[in-house]
Amino acid sequence: MRYSPTLIEHFLNPRNMGLMRDPDGTGEDEFEGCGDLARMFLRLQDGRAAEVRFQSYGCGPTIAAASAASELIAGRAVEELVNLKAREVEDALDGLPDDRKHAAEVVAGAVRAAALDALRRRGA
Amino acid sequence: MSRRVYLDHNASTPVHPEVLAEMVPYFGDVFGNPSSVHGFGRAAREAVDVARDRVATFLCARPDEIVFTSGGTESDNFGVKGLAWARGGGHVITSKIEHHAVLRTCQALEAQGFDVTYLPVDETGMIDLDDVRRALRPDTIAISIMHANSEVGTIQPVRAIGALARERGIAFHVDAVQTFGKVEIDVEAFNIDLLSFSGHKIYGPKGVAGLYIRKGTKMVSVQHGGEHERRRRAGTENVPGIVGLGKAVEVRAREMKDEAVRLTALRDRLWEGVRARVPDVRLNGHPTERVPGTANIAYKNVESESIVLGLDLKGIAVSAGSACTAGSVEPSYVLVAMGVPLEWAMGAVRASLGRSTTAEDIDYVVESVEPIVRKLRAALPVGAA
Repeated sequence: MRYSPTLIEHFLNPRNMGLMRDPDGTGEDEFEGCGDLARMFLRLQDGRAAEVRFQSYGCGPTIAAASAASELIAGRAVEELVNLKAREVEDALDGLPDDRKHAAEVVAGAVRAAALDALRRRGA
Repeated sequence: MSRRVYLDHNASTPVHPEVLAEMVPYFGDVFGNPSSVHGFGRAAREAVDVARDRVATFLCARPDEIVFTSGGTESDNFGVKGLAWARGGGHVITSKIEHHAVLRTCQALEAQGFDVTYLPVDETGMIDLDDVRRALRPDTIAISIMHANSEVGTIQPVRAIGALARERGIAFHVDAVQTFGKVEIDVEAFNIDLLSFSGHKIYGPKGVAGLYIRKGTKMVSVQHGGEHERRRRAGTENVPGIVGLGKAVEVRAREMKDEAVRLTALRDRLWEGVRARVPDVRLNGHPTERVPGTANIAYKNVESESIVLGLDLKGIAVSAGSACTAGSVEPSYVLVAMGVPLEWAMGAVRASLGRSTTAEDIDYVVESVEPIVRKLRAALPVGAA
């Protein structure tokens, strides 16, 4: 198996999957040329991600990355999430093969977009 | 994971135990070079000749019309380039859904000044004989059409195309890698001049294949060196491989007919089972004119690779219709040529059954695929894909 046991576990049992109604922030990212897509939803409490949900379309690693990210970012300050790096998401999966790095990138991009959206709404 | 189900026989097959047993002595005791005149060499030559006879009989050809090669790709290169280079220029007809071994060879010929027509196919993957007729030109030198496509299994009307080619005096090459040993091929009745076939798709070893070349066909060699294979393909013969290919053909001649009936029923059981349980699915390929064990099923709005991964984790081996490499995903060019819409083409999964496949295997796959697809669809963003 070319994927880590952690990735496989997230793929088989994705956490926090599905739509969130009335989120405090939502954002998505699509990997061009590949079509893989992740959409993240955030509900904040005291400026921190109290609840996270995701939706995604793509290969197994993208679904697993979105699931892992939903756990990774729980409780973190939204200001911190606007800078989330793909590397952190990849580490949460115990690594990705070179040709699947985009899974972490698209998910980190969706988290950053959702955090920016939350900040924008808070400022509005 | 306990259960393992291999449904990727169009990619490769396990070596049949009888084939392996027949090959073993040729790695040890009978190791001579078939070109050597001494006893060691003669023993190897004899074994190669037996294999050649078996293949020739199977194809309704003559033994001296069979050339052994290293694989289907070499056979296709040899067939198409050999015909074209022997004529020096002109027009070649092929199709948009050929294996890359033919497609890229034709592209290479274009770079050398040849003209190539790539025929379209209909929504079932079938070539229209009228399109072949319309594509013919006074300078057409060759037609190369696959017998069946590996992804969707649609069987082309090669008999009718062969008749047309013969009537016009045009050389006709058939890539039969996916049908050899699975459906009947008679090079005489089908008016085929060249035919590519391979060992590892029919429970023979990898690294051995062949090209049938009708006696009198104007050809040049592609690989130069010694005088092997009647000066048509240089290189010491892969004796154990050729012995294995010969034995595999003998076994296929014995098993092919019954297995075709059994696999057709199983592949239909797979499709009916999936269709009954999973919404938004479609079968790619011709409903009836199809290689017995091939079922290409598309799951709308799901990425085929995630289905392949999900099934792999259940011990089931199938193959994805779209391939994601280094972050760029391409839908299958075969499905694109068939006009399959992108939201379906991206979710195409091929199951190719074989001699070990059972009804229980198929039922297990049907049971396994439904929750995987349901879960993947549950993750979809609304309005995405």
